[in-house]
Amino acid sequence: MSKESVVSKESVVSKESVVSLDVASRGETAPPPVGLGHAYWRRVRPAPVIKGAFLVVVALYFIVPMLAMARFAFQNVPMALLTPEKLFDGWSFSGLWTALSDPGIIAATKTSVLLVAFAIALNLALLLPLAIVTEVHSPKLRPVLSAVTLLPWVIPPIALVVGVAATFRAAVPWFLASDFSLVPFYALWAMPFTYRALDAGLQAISARTLYEAARTMGASFTTIIVRVIIPNMGAAIAAASALTAAMVLGEFAFASLLLKRTLPTEMVNYQRGDPRGGLALALIVMILTALALGLVVRSLRRRGLTVQTAGI
Amino acid sequence: MATVEMVSIRKAFGSSVALEDFTVRIRSGELVCLLGPSGCGKTTALRILAGLEKADGGRVAVEGLDISDEPPERRRFGMVFQDYSLFPNMTARQNIEFGLKVQKKDAASRRSIVDRMIDVTRLQAHADKYPHQMSGGQRQRVALARAIATAPRVLLLDEPLSALDAQVRETLRDEIRRLQLEIGVTTVFVTHDQHEALAIADRVGVMSNGRLEQLAPPRELYERPANSFVAGFIGTVNQLPARALQSDRWQVLNRTVVGNEAGTAGVEGTVAVRPEHIALDRSDIGPWTIESTSFLGPMTRLVVAQPGHQSLLVDLASSDAVAFPVGSRVQVRLRDDVGQVTVLTLAPLASRMSS
Repeated sequence: MSKESVVSKESVVSKESVVSLDVASRGETAPPPVGLGHAYWRRVRPAPVIKGAFLVVVALYFIVPMLAMARFAFQNVPMALLTPEKLFDGWSFSGLWTALSDPGIIAATKTSVLLVAFAIALNLALLLPLAIVTEVHSPKLRPVLSAVTLLPWVIPPIALVVGVAATFRAAVPWFLASDFSLVPFYALWAMPFTYRALDAGLQAISARTLYEAARTMGASFTTIIVRVIIPNMGAAIAAASALTAAMVLGEFAFASLLLKRTLPTEMVNYQRGDPRGGLALALIVMILTALALGLVVRSLRRRGLTVQTAGI
Repeated sequence: MATVEMVSIRKAFGSSVALEDFTVRIRSGELVCLLGPSGCGKTTALRILAGLEKADGGRVAVEGLDISDEPPERRRFGMVFQDYSLFPNMTARQNIEFGLKVQKKDAASRRSIVDRMIDVTRLQAHADKYPHQMSGGQRQRVALARAIATAPRVLLLDEPLSALDAQVRETLRDEIRRLQLEIGVTTVFVTHDQHEALAIADRVGVMSNGRLEQLAPPRELYERPANSFVAGFIGTVNQLPARALQSDRWQVLNRTVVGNEAGTAGVEGTVAVRPEHIALDRSDIGPWTIESTSFLGPMTRLVVAQPGHQSLLVDLASSDAVAFPVGSRVQVRLRDDVGQVTVLTLAPLASRMSS
């Protein structure tokens, strides 16, 4: 009984302190006059209205083009003839099925999925050990690494492709012939995302303290990395992978310049012959990617991790 | 159980010196608190002891054996960090078990040790929870159980209570002491909270600017501070003018007392006197006046002022303090049972603390 009363007292105190903090942050010095609570706050706090309006505008910015895309892709009624009575006429998924059964699209999807897998694997293989060792052994190098991993974005894709292509064509001509010659480009191009996600993950779990704690318990370097650090990097690894996947599934410049048939280049080709089907495909790829990201976030939440933990 | 020695340790980070000629000898089974303001080098000392930092000079020895070059994983110490540092992917039980698995103990003995640790730290209801499902106090109890599960030779605690709120802090503080006495492990506890240090330590080492100023039992530290820094850092002191007499005798408020060091006879100096060591007598001619009083429960603190003098803080039993309302005129004197004072002649207190 006495414990309960203590708890309730504490909660009252904390509520008050939150309110007073809020007042302080708004530059208000006087507390709200007693008895005027509700009206007072409505007067001095326009923020919720602005926040709501802002969210609606942002939502419209994303939703309207997608609805328009969906209508164009799945409803076979030209815009000029669309009247309220015809709103539910002519809807069909046939364009999508045709696109999905196109052999070019199927082959390109397979290529892209493999590219995603290899790019993620290469990126993690390079950056995970690098990020971990830097954090636990020489944290002073973090800013250097952070700057170095940004370099791929300083160089435009065209320069990267032309430069690299010229070198490889002379040295190992067979390499550029393969679809998988895109893997190193993608790994490089996704490096800024990947490194940041991994680094943020290491910071979020205080990897250095975990490492030190495990060392005092007698654990070897390998044991610590395998049993303590990496198992706690789930969120960061998932975030890094999801970002790499999204990037690879949407990358056009490298693939087009190197004349590769990946999902994005093939979708552009397909859309020239069948605009509706092409758009339906684009919409589906977008929704699937979003759903996959959502699933990753949900499974992380269930394990008590958040995407914030991974720094994105 | 083990004796621990850190001898003439020196450590600098770039141009800033964290530890200078730092020497401490800890007896077997003893709990020593390293206490000091932030930046005084206490955490660096602990990390050097743990092997997580390497000293630039000096040596660390356990049971007389030099371990200065041993990596932390070979020292067989247990350590608790300020921010819990529990492994998030493991339950409380698995966290406690980790060190035992590393030691390659068999499943049955691991189980019995973990069960005992869960019992002594009263974590029965939380054994299968993950760190994120536990409160700060519970997590720190797991961290403590994890640190002592491997039967370490020395237990190191780096501000283990700083992240907790006041009530939990006090409970856990007492629990740490109870456990430490129960298993008898030599313990070094780093803190910036003097109440914490005075409450649980066998001996407290007060540090400033990378040096150990004094290492003594709490009572001695309070009653016979070795220098002005310790006097000012532990508890509250008044600075009173005093005149040096023969050898180590000083005259303070018309009484002759022993100082912790000798002055040149006849020369004026300053001594530190605790608020509870001053007595007041009602006197209509003053010269002191009660300026304000604050009720602190069993004690009442009075601010006593005289024009042209520094105000004095005086602590009286609250029942006695009612005789001295604000505005009443009094005379001050040293209490009869005060035999020793700390001389502050080395340098003014304020400038030493900020240097």
